[in-house]
Amino acid sequence: MTQSLTLENINAHYGTTQVLEDLSLHIAEGELVSLLGSSGCGKTTTLRLVAGFLEPTSGSIKLGDRDLTRLPAHARDIGLVFQTYALFPHLTVRDNVGFGLKQRNISGAERKKRVDTMIERVGLGELADRHPANLSGGQRQRVALARALVIDPPLLMFDEPLSNLDAKLRVDMRVEIRRLQQANGTTALYVTHDQEEAFSISDRVAIMKGGKIMQLDTPEVLYSRPANAFVADFVGFDNMIEMEAIAEAGDAVRAQMAGGVQIDLPKSQFTIPSKKFLFATRPEGLLVEPETSGFGIPAELGMRTYIGRAYQYHCETAAGVVMANGPQATPFESGSAAMLVPQPEQCCLLPTES
Amino acid sequence: MSNRLRAWLLATPAILLVFIFLGLPVLATFATTFGDPKGPFSTYAAFFNSRFRMTVLWRTMEVALVTTIISVAIGFCTAWVVARMPGRIKSLLIIAAVFPLLTGVVVRSFAWLVILGKNGILNNFLIKIGAIAEPLSMLYTQGSVIVAMVYLFVPLMILTLVGVLEGIPQDMTDAAASLGATPAATFRQVVLPMAVPGLIVGAVLVFTGSFTSYATPQLLGGERQMMMGTFLYQRAMVTFDWVGASTIAAVMVVVTLTTVLIMSKVARKLNPMAG
Amino acid sequence: MKTRIHPVLIVLTVLTFLFLLGPLVVIIGSALSDTTYLTFPPQGLTLHWFTNIFEISAFTRTMGTSFMLAVAGTTLSMLIGIPAAYAMARYRIELPAFLGNVFVLPILIPEIVLGFSLMKSLASGFGLPISLALLVGHALIVLPYTVRVVGASLNSFDFSIEEAAVSLGCPRIKAFFTVVLPNIRAGIIAGFILAFITSLNDVSISIFLTGPGVSTLPIQLLAHMEQFFDPTIASVSVLLMGVTVAVMAVVERTLGLTFLTK
Repeated sequence: MTQSLTLENINAHYGTTQVLEDLSLHIAEGELVSLLGSSGCGKTTTLRLVAGFLEPTSGSIKLGDRDLTRLPAHARDIGLVFQTYALFPHLTVRDNVGFGLKQRNISGAERKKRVDTMIERVGLGELADRHPANLSGGQRQRVALARALVIDPPLLMFDEPLSNLDAKLRVDMRVEIRRLQQANGTTALYVTHDQEEAFSISDRVAIMKGGKIMQLDTPEVLYSRPANAFVADFVGFDNMIEMEAIAEAGDAVRAQMAGGVQIDLPKSQFTIPSKKFLFATRPEGLLVEPETSGFGIPAELGMRTYIGRAYQYHCETAAGVVMANGPQATPFESGSAAMLVPQPEQCCLLPTES
Repeated sequence: MSNRLRAWLLATPAILLVFIFLGLPVLATFATTFGDPKGPFSTYAAFFNSRFRMTVLWRTMEVALVTTIISVAIGFCTAWVVARMPGRIKSLLIIAAVFPLLTGVVVRSFAWLVILGKNGILNNFLIKIGAIAEPLSMLYTQGSVIVAMVYLFVPLMILTLVGVLEGIPQDMTDAAASLGATPAATFRQVVLPMAVPGLIVGAVLVFTGSFTSYATPQLLGGERQMMMGTFLYQRAMVTFDWVGASTIAAVMVVVTLTTVLIMSKVARKLNPMAG
Repeated sequence: MKTRIHPVLIVLTVLTFLFLLGPLVVIIGSALSDTTYLTFPPQGLTLHWFTNIFEISAFTRTMGTSFMLAVAGTTLSMLIGIPAAYAMARYRIELPAFLGNVFVLPILIPEIVLGFSLMKSLASGFGLPISLALLVGHALIVLPYTVRVVGASLNSFDFSIEEAAVSLGCPRIKAFFTVVLPNIRAGIIAGFILAFITSLNDVSISIFLTGPGVSTLPIQLLAHMEQFFDPTIASVSVLLMGVTVAVMAVVERTLGLTFLTK
């Protein structure tokens, strides 16, 4: 009974401050979509709106064909996992998990069966009669998960569910969450500020800023083809060089950057989005080569750090400082002159923000 | 100097103060009750066989219990509303509850003397609207003592319970709602059980406070509504029967400590946060 | 946010606060009445009953006694209570847990029992001057406040700051006065002021430890009430309410009044 979630033109305010601006989002049946962004971007507000803890100023929220917009929270039938877990401290694990079924007036025997099955599924069989105070963080997380899943909701929502766990457990739990979500085929909305978490767990990720979705795509597309400077910066395109197309040079476009440095970008490998644009790469998108290389951005190498699979250099160019990687086999001396050669498949040309 | 030694040295003056000026005198009072030539428990036998003394004990219990029940009921409903008010109004209401709490018990009991007296405000008002022809004798009744005691303890209850209710995270009620609990079900199944330990603590404060009070029963109950506190004073300072007074004191201590011990066990048992 | 409260509860809350504040308004009103008996609403307005306070020497004398007693008792209790609170917060593992309960004993033991026992043992048994017994009694009953309120401040104090001072060469004693004390100042002021008002309003201890020579204001008020029923009592009560207002202002400025809900 999983259902799709549709948000249409949602506006929301806290007092006079607008926190969501004309936000629309569709999550298909069985899909897991993450809202990713730093605090204050509106991701948690979006979740609380869907849950019914807040009301939008305008816009509509639909689960399948059902309009949720003005429905009270308790009538929405959405499974929600809280950042704090919000387990009821006065109830045992079993009663916590059974709480939602009790509200649905599901009888004792049936309830017990479903609760016990769910507790087994999250691996807490031994602990069913304990109180939350006597559980570890990871165990509490599992109870919270079981409590949300057992009501068999058409939509599951997660509000930073892993942020209170240590690093190792976080990885285990996100695999677990993904496994249970896929096994049930439940539509899911997942809120997090952790990029790795969002990318590893989601079918699609919405990167948010200032109450708007900046880009909604699969993790692969977001990682390699960010659509704008904000997303590029967010996913780690550390080098952003402003360029301007000034001429055609055969099958290449001649681009000029600050300091008058020019570079010919082959049309077969680069698509120029507009006359002025941003050249964005990660450090591995600029390869440090000897000065003698014909093509690239001339630079003077500064500090060198070893990052395992390569050396990384702070490079002084006419357009400013950039980060570039050099091969492990042939380290360059700091202070030497070099060429930074763009690796087309790891570079993005983005329209400059208006 | 080891940390342990330093810790003990710093705590010693306070320990001595409590031991010498509280522990020893109170123990001496207890000792007095066992020193009767007719046998060690004869004073207690006399106490529990005396109709008058038992009446006073039961009356005190009854007044304390009724005061507690009324204070808890009023305090909980009020605290529920106060805790839900927006910041500014909430602060004002808290100030309004703290003010009487910090005003002395004599002043607060005196107010009811003015209100409930033969020529008091309430009688004057009732005569004026024609509800009664002759002024009622409202003072020196069990009712007047209870009203003044409730007045004494409601602020304490409100403040305790506002703290308890605010200590219940919003996530808890949100979680209940997300699982389908109506507001009424959330209150019954989540808020109330989580508030009970704090409720018990507050109730114990009110019960022991009213059980051992002196000024209020003295002013509003008088001789006719003698309670344990006023009885103790009368035995000690009017009839100078120190053995009798010590027996009353011992009974008061036993009742108070038993209530505190039992109820804090119950509260701890009901408090899942403690594990 | 949606905060729906049942209207019945709102009405009840309004009634509760009328119940809480009404009687105090009655006192203020009757203190201003131009009659020789207590009445409300006041008939004619006068400040005569306030000036009358100062013509009754029993009131002026006991006011002074009560004030000095509250200051001295609280100070004594602070001098003894702060080191204990510090020891319990700083060396938690070194001291047995039940020690915390020892310091709340003055609240657990009914005050009137304590008053009687002190009178019996100290004043009668050891012939201690009654004023000294009174002082000790007041220091005792406010000890739980000083230990608890200062303790609450200390529990949120980060003792690594003190260790930092010591590691920088500051002697321990000096570190306490220059680093710890300034950071728990709010707790000390609030604790002092709450203890002060408790001592000032005390009846149950004082009733046994006062006599013809020494008395406190609340005891004098009780005695006065049994003989006279004129607006002077109301005007003294209004003065005491003024002290309460001052106390609340200080607590609000230090820990905030919401501290009292914790």
